Amino acid sequence: MEEGGIKLGEIELEIPPNVSFTTTSAIHDFIKDSPMQKLVNWGRKNSLWFMTHPMGCCGIEQICVGVAHYDTDRFGIIPRASPRQADVMMISGYVTKKYLPALKRVWDQMVEPKWILMMGECAISGGPWWESYSTVINMDEIFPVDIYIPGCPPRPEALLEGFIELQKKIVAQKDRTVIPNPADGEV
Amino acid sequence: MGDEQAAIQVIDKTIMIELSDKFPDVVSDVDVPSPNRAIARIDPSKVHEIMQFLLDKGFDHLSCISGVDYPPDKMEVVYHVTSYSGPLVITLKASVPRDDPNIDSLCDIYWNANWYERETYELYGIKFNDCPYLKVLLLVEEMEGEWPLRKDYAGYPNPT
Amino acid sequence: MTHEATQITSPPKPSEMLLHLGPQHPLQPGPFLLDLKIEGETIREAELKIGYIHKGMEKVFEDRTYIQILPLTDRICYLASNSNNDVYCRGMEELLGIEPTDRAKYLRVLTNELCRIQSHLLGIGEYTTDVGFLTMFIYMVRERESVVSLLEAITGSRLNHNYARFGGVAQDLPPGYKEMALKSLGKLKELIKSHDDMMSSDSIYLKRTKGVGTLTAKEAGELGVAGPPLRAAGVNYDLRRLEPYLVYDELDFNVITQTDGDVFSRVKVRLLEILESIYIIEQCLDQMPSGPYKQDVTPYITRPEPGEVYSRIEDPRGEMGMYIISDGSDKPYRFRIRGPAFATAQALPPLLIGTYVADVAAIAASMDSCTSEVDR
Repeated sequence: MEEGGIKLGEIELEIPPNVSFTTTSAIHDFIKDSPMQKLVNWGRKNSLWFMTHPMGCCGIEQICVGVAHYDTDRFGIIPRASPRQADVMMISGYVTKKYLPALKRVWDQMVEPKWILMMGECAISGGPWWESYSTVINMDEIFPVDIYIPGCPPRPEALLEGFIELQKKIVAQKDRTVIPNPADGEV
Repeated sequence: MGDEQAAIQVIDKTIMIELSDKFPDVVSDVDVPSPNRAIARIDPSKVHEIMQFLLDKGFDHLSCISGVDYPPDKMEVVYHVTSYSGPLVITLKASVPRDDPNIDSLCDIYWNANWYERETYELYGIKFNDCPYLKVLLLVEEMEGEWPLRKDYAGYPNPT
Repeated sequence: MTHEATQITSPPKPSEMLLHLGPQHPLQPGPFLLDLKIEGETIREAELKIGYIHKGMEKVFEDRTYIQILPLTDRICYLASNSNNDVYCRGMEELLGIEPTDRAKYLRVLTNELCRIQSHLLGIGEYTTDVGFLTMFIYMVRERESVVSLLEAITGSRLNHNYARFGGVAQDLPPGYKEMALKSLGKLKELIKSHDDMMSSDSIYLKRTKGVGTLTAKEAGELGVAGPPLRAAGVNYDLRRLEPYLVYDELDFNVITQTDGDVFSRVKVRLLEILESIYIIEQCLDQMPSGPYKQDVTPYITRPEPGEVYSRIEDPRGEMGMYIISDGSDKPYRFRIRGPAFATAQALPPLLIGTYVADVAAIAASMDSCTSEVDR
């Protein structure tokens, strides 16, 4: 630990009195190899709050899946409006050159652990607009994507299936979630 | 209902005759393909006066402004003007030179012309003189100057 | 109305601040950025920035054959996909010189009205969450599912129906559809009436919506809006009446208008239009003639004569128009989409000036614009 201040990314913060920071991920590393992690993952998989972030046709199915008829509350999957309260981001439409910076920022605003679902052809491979002048393709090179749900748009049942697959991945510890590491300055 | 409609159509047909009488050298190629549609070609320098005339005659709704590219030498600005009280849509086409496309803005006549003009500007590069806020609307700002909807645009299909 | 009303002209003074709403926001499906300059709680200037999901549809359409464009028209506005199919097919029919069969006309009216119902239901639902009336949102989405099932039974798809064809429709009604539809819609009618009562009698809801975001008939005309926001201001403008297409001149229906032009009236117009659409569907199911639902030969390879057409239709949100220029090849030379939501979105910033920050969500959602169609 440096004297007088701590570096968080590019920002230097002064340490207030009687506050200590850790710069190792020893606790995390310890838990990761112990049976405790299973309990943590069980908790995570049953509270996958997703961000309502409609970007196209798939957005409508995303709204429908959250309420009444398809009712993802049964699985602990609850729609949230704010990225800061959400665990899952769905890319549910074509990402344009104009929207990509904002989307990256929304992704950074979400707290870890967090996951990405790719919903629909547009997000996965381009769909009908793959050769357009204003769009960005190969989103999986930009974001760590866990689940791909094909369809144009996928049915709500397919979206539910995607969530269940994500839960299985979390339990099996094969997901691509970003682990917070204080040593990297990521908080 | 039927009589009312017939009455509206008679008024509508006369508007094209009135228009070509009022602007004899400016309006040409008047065509009425169906009772609810009329097409004419206009001189781009007089677009402001013509639209003011149409507004005074009750054509109070500017439906759309579009650009069309005809390489190598010309572009067209197409106006669809209609009314809240009748079914006639008047299509007015103004040809502008492709190397320096510019035409008068209609923002002071029809309020909603603004976004249509901005859109046509960013996609085709047609400048609307005196438009109060002519800058990109849909594209990223870096793409201003690429004019993606022109026929000779190189960025389509996207090479990636 | 001045043009200063659509943009933020100067940086905020010390007593003012800038508030960014978006691009990720819970107001409506689809990202946009609404910049507000506020002084205290009052909005001084507003600017709407769009284009976050601009896909360049018009360019893509110029590179597709006419028959390939048909399924893509669904994606212009996914909540009004039948209307978009229909306006495209009517334009193409005019270019090709063919006429849909009688039964197809009725089937198209039927699906258009079902589409209008589900669009209005979701529009009202989105809006009610924004005014904090979450119960109504759950109800509206529940009711929408029954309408979506009716559409799915005809078209085979929940959202992007791709139903109309040049000179006909894709398939006929399934057996037993009339009974199923009448039962489901009868129930929906009762539910909508009860929801209307609930919304008209809730005192908190009335306080939030009555007299908020008022758009007078004159202003609405100047701003160039159409559809429910215009009819809520008292203008009797409906293309189904003004320029009757398909079989609307043979059907009996009222054009719903309100007088106040505020948030409450705009939502009321949508609620009452749902009931009117149900009435139209009932007539369609009764009067529908038997016969072929499509032409004997569907023109798959289409090379229309050089020419142009502007076809328009009454979308759930207003006037949807398509301007197609053909040069005789199998691809359109120019394909212009004139969306109703584009016009409505443009009229939003002037409406917000002078209102409170807390009312922004209610006003923006009551205009019910569809970002996908605004951006295209």
